[in-house]
Amino acid sequence: MRDTAEIVLGLLPPDVKYGDIRVIRRTHEQVLVELDGPGEVNYDDSLGLGLRVLIDGQWGFAATHRLDPQGLDAVVAQAVGQARATGGGGHVVLGTPVTTRDTWSSPMDVDPFTVPLSTKLDLLAATVKEAATAGPLVQQIEASMDFYRDEKVFANTEGALIEQTLTESGGGLMVNAGDGNDVQRRSFPQGVPRQIRGQRGDFATAGFEHVLSLGLVENAARVAAEAVELLSAPQCPDEVTTLVAGSNQLAMVLHECAGHPMEADRALGTEASLAGGTYATPERRGNFRWGTPIVSAYADATIPGALGSFKYDDEGTPSQRTQLVKDGIFLGYMSSREYAGALGLESTGQARADGWQRLPLVRMTNICLEPGESSLAEMIDGTKRGILVDINRGFSIDDQRMNFRFQTEIGWEIKDGKVGRMLKNCTYQSDTPTFWGSLDALGGPSEWRVHGVPSCNKGEPLQVAHVGHGTVPGRFRNVQVGR
Amino acid sequence: MSINQSDVEQALAILGAGTRLDILGENADLLRYAESEITAQHSERRLRVRARINRNGRSVAGSLETLDPVAVRALADRLQAALGELPPGTSEAAPAADHSAATPDIPAASSVLESDPAVRHQWFKTVRDGLDSAAMLGGAIRYDVLDRVVADSTGLFRAETLTKASIQAIAKQDGKSASVRIMHRDADQIPVSEIPDRLREALRPLPQVEAHHGTCRVLLKPQAANALIATYGYAVLGANAYATGRSAVSGRLGEKVASELITLVDDGCDPDGLPSGFDAEGNVRRRTPLLENGVLVGVVSDQRRAGLTGGVPTGHAVPDGWRFGGDPVPSHLLLEAGESTEDELLAECGSGLVVNRLDYLRVLHPKETLVTGTTRDATYWAEDGKIVGWHPQMRFTFRMEDVMNAVIGVGAVRERCDQTFMESVVVPSLLIDAGPLTLP
Repeated sequence: MRDTAEIVLGLLPPDVKYGDIRVIRRTHEQVLVELDGPGEVNYDDSLGLGLRVLIDGQWGFAATHRLDPQGLDAVVAQAVGQARATGGGGHVVLGTPVTTRDTWSSPMDVDPFTVPLSTKLDLLAATVKEAATAGPLVQQIEASMDFYRDEKVFANTEGALIEQTLTESGGGLMVNAGDGNDVQRRSFPQGVPRQIRGQRGDFATAGFEHVLSLGLVENAARVAAEAVELLSAPQCPDEVTTLVAGSNQLAMVLHECAGHPMEADRALGTEASLAGGTYATPERRGNFRWGTPIVSAYADATIPGALGSFKYDDEGTPSQRTQLVKDGIFLGYMSSREYAGALGLESTGQARADGWQRLPLVRMTNICLEPGESSLAEMIDGTKRGILVDINRGFSIDDQRMNFRFQTEIGWEIKDGKVGRMLKNCTYQSDTPTFWGSLDALGGPSEWRVHGVPSCNKGEPLQVAHVGHGTVPGRFRNVQVGR
Repeated sequence: MSINQSDVEQALAILGAGTRLDILGENADLLRYAESEITAQHSERRLRVRARINRNGRSVAGSLETLDPVAVRALADRLQAALGELPPGTSEAAPAADHSAATPDIPAASSVLESDPAVRHQWFKTVRDGLDSAAMLGGAIRYDVLDRVVADSTGLFRAETLTKASIQAIAKQDGKSASVRIMHRDADQIPVSEIPDRLREALRPLPQVEAHHGTCRVLLKPQAANALIATYGYAVLGANAYATGRSAVSGRLGEKVASELITLVDDGCDPDGLPSGFDAEGNVRRRTPLLENGVLVGVVSDQRRAGLTGGVPTGHAVPDGWRFGGDPVPSHLLLEAGESTEDELLAECGSGLVVNRLDYLRVLHPKETLVTGTTRDATYWAEDGKIVGWHPQMRFTFRMEDVMNAVIGVGAVRERCDQTFMESVVVPSLLIDAGPLTLP
């Protein structure tokens, strides 16, 4: 792979002012056990390269699975042809050259690709068996685990040559219960959007030890019983009330309200026609009140084991921590070299691509809340009337990342400081600054944890990124909940 | 066709009995632009070889980017080892596949096969230069050539080459935006020169009206109706969801589930859509009536759920590892046109909302068909059948079943649309009676 990268750079014509290449092999193993089947196993292996060139300020990009000499010649011709077809006149500024030469592998205790398949199947089968104890209203159970390994070589015309190996592991459980009139779902440890098969649960840049730490078997019966109980639970009331959100739920709200809006390419209008624009426009930087003064948020790709962590991004920029919100004020952007340059800044190291075949985009890494001084128990204790919700089930947000509606898998009444009846179909809606401006309590450091989400979508062609969110529970006053 | 049949047969021989190959040669060329400037030109070539082996109720799968025999042999060894680890299957086996039907002939378009980045650049210039100087243009132009092969160890071999060109153009001016999205299998059939006029007309100066609260009639233009019909089809009209009781229409075949103005079919070979002839299992896509004058008459199936469709799959198996799930879902929806012109629909709407695009429509509760989403780009308010102003963007949360029952007018002109989870959706405008769509 390293030789391939160097050969391709050597083929670039002189008018290429900047070029970089990523040669990547991605290995993915997925193991799935369902209620009525023996299980499924899937092995994916993908090897290819992506070449990006800058000619007269215009990008050209080409990607290919063909690594033979003819394939390499063709990919150079395609990338250069794309850039030249524009006829020049581009204004891309890349900032400080990247010249790093390094080799790095993400840490892990147990290499998941060396763990016997039988061990994985046994763990998932035991999880399904436990979940099935919830009775005949359980219609569907899926327990799965996924493992990824990305071996990446990055090289550029500025002299950089970086070899990174990232290993990611995750797993989870999904239970659907139905009684003919209603269908309810519970997931563990966290929800997944829509009907994604496999790739469920919580993920980390770690080895098999992460899957063992999830407690899938230990939680399966409870989770399935909750799915059944939800069928007969009362509907979430339609009212303005206090909302206490678990850290898992806040992960997704933070993702949509801070993560995507504070990507610099979106702020500069390049995603406006696709995923949308943002309220976090450059003139609002440093003066837009995003939330109450107790809330601060940051992006941090250096958190050990978090799913959005790495040592270098897909332009060779080192991982780092970037403050996004400080004391409730919108403060900064995530960026790549190009979009930092457009803002007169240096890259914050968030150029990431979904594999060799795609252009790097500005992508969130680990978007985190700084913990507060409260706790979930104290928040509930201090709530006379409200609802407690957790585990995201679905959501939608407008193209400026303002007006949103979230639905959770499960909720409970809070009355006079106590958790009461289970509630189903809990939804809440607000807009970003109003919602975060109603925050009056955040959990403390002991409740802070990172949730690994492997399904962040962006771009054209669509790219899926693996990201993390470090969050705590939070309490929000005067939120519209219900249908 | 860039996939060699002898390479496929060699791979099948290596992988052995019970193997099915689903192979995609993907060639994508893309021009992206924003703020009236080109931001990237993108060329992607890849070969995705998906192999699935089914033996004795056990199933394993894997994928590669090559048909090289050495790599295929390594995958075969790995899959064989995995099969040995799996317990025997207990679920009901799918019926034996009948592949006697001929592979439909879907012609590829030379305008896309002979892709040239200069053509896309010219399209961009045509649209940008046709707009007012104060307008900013964003979007993407994309050409796709997809070589498909589905083959198995029983002798099945189906192959096709699909072409698609598309342009998305969003113009922003004075704080307002309007969008056009056009696609066709033949790039020469896309009326690029008409796009600036459409955008300028949509961005015409109108006053901003106050947000309406409560219910009113809503005219969903084709791009907005696309989101509704596609999401409804995905959530409701698949055989597995129907058979397991998770669909809102489970058990209601033969019953009225929508307005009598609604007639909906799935037809992968209809040239009004973006044709493709067979599914990921190699089943030929059959024209499948779904709703006839509002009555549920069918669902779509794959081999496992063929029992629900007369023992023959309708050709709606999804690829292994598809990110939107493993159950059969509609792929090429066509909603029958009505007789109303756009002006007649607007007149019948009277005072109400005109929605050009529904965005981020997400299912909150599939059994109840409860969804939420927002309007995007040009949203207008009409008074007495005339558009009188821009209405603020707004969020809808509604039951799709209620809206499907409240259709009181269907346009005569259909547009070809798509979704990330559906290959093509051909729909006219829909006029929705006051009631199910409430403006908060």
